[in-house]
Amino acid sequence: MGLIQRTAEEAGIVTISMGNEAERMAHIKPPRALLVKFARGSMFGEPGNVKRQRRIIMDALEALKTMTEPGTIRELPYQWKRPDPENFSCKKSSFSR
Amino acid sequence: MPIDLDTFKIAYEKWVEESLPDYRAGNMQEIVKKYPFVVSDGIPWTPYRGRPSEQTFALVTSGGLYLKKSQPPFNTESIHGDPSLREIPKTVRQEDLGIAHAHYDHSLAQQDINIIFPIQRFIELEKEGIIGRVPDTLYSFSYVNDVVTLVTKTLPDFISRIKAAGVDVLLLVPV
Repeated sequence: MGLIQRTAEEAGIVTISMGNEAERMAHIKPPRALLVKFARGSMFGEPGNVKRQRRIIMDALEALKTMTEPGTIRELPYQWKRPDPENFSCKKSSFSR
Repeated sequence: MPIDLDTFKIAYEKWVEESLPDYRAGNMQEIVKKYPFVVSDGIPWTPYRGRPSEQTFALVTSGGLYLKKSQPPFNTESIHGDPSLREIPKTVRQEDLGIAHAHYDHSLAQQDINIIFPIQRFIELEKEGIIGRVPDTLYSFSYVNDVVTLVTKTLPDFISRIKAAGVDVLLLVPV
């Protein structure tokens, strides 16, 4: 996936990827990435947790604007089957309508 | 070119030869450890400009998704993996999708595909005007070791398709 991301970014498309292993991501060097604490096969958290899935996408939108250095990886605080922490996401970001 | 293919090819052929017994025995950790990962030093960068509400957002997963009724599944037997690509329509329903990828647990994604391919969330954000547009076609790859075919054939085709669809931003979800 790292290669696909790097190729797209090289071709002029802005990319952001998900990941769950910091060490592996440091090796792959994605242009922009969000690091989650979830296992393989569930990068957006628990099945059916619509709110969390949405929140992670909103985090990605915020990251597009705030990540200005190539290779930035931002760790997200969400934990499996635990409520999302308050005051983390981009509730009042300029991406709202 | 994101990697030096000539250097990779030699190392990859050696890896295939040495790793086949481990691959056949399912010792995935061993073969991953020995895989000739090549990543160039630099990090490509396209600066982000503009507003999501005016842009086109595409989604790509490496979860091995395919349309059960109309597309062949990815090859899950070969040590090379499968370097091909499947186009997933925006209108897809969970029940239309199969998963062909031998190296992760599908049980959660089978309950809710959005945890590896958040298409429903993308469509909702498009309807709300938070993102401008979700193209009609999204994409899935699967498990790939044969980076040579990926880089020389599939990726040029993939890039031209997403460019033709006017994609500004690509969200990539590995498994």
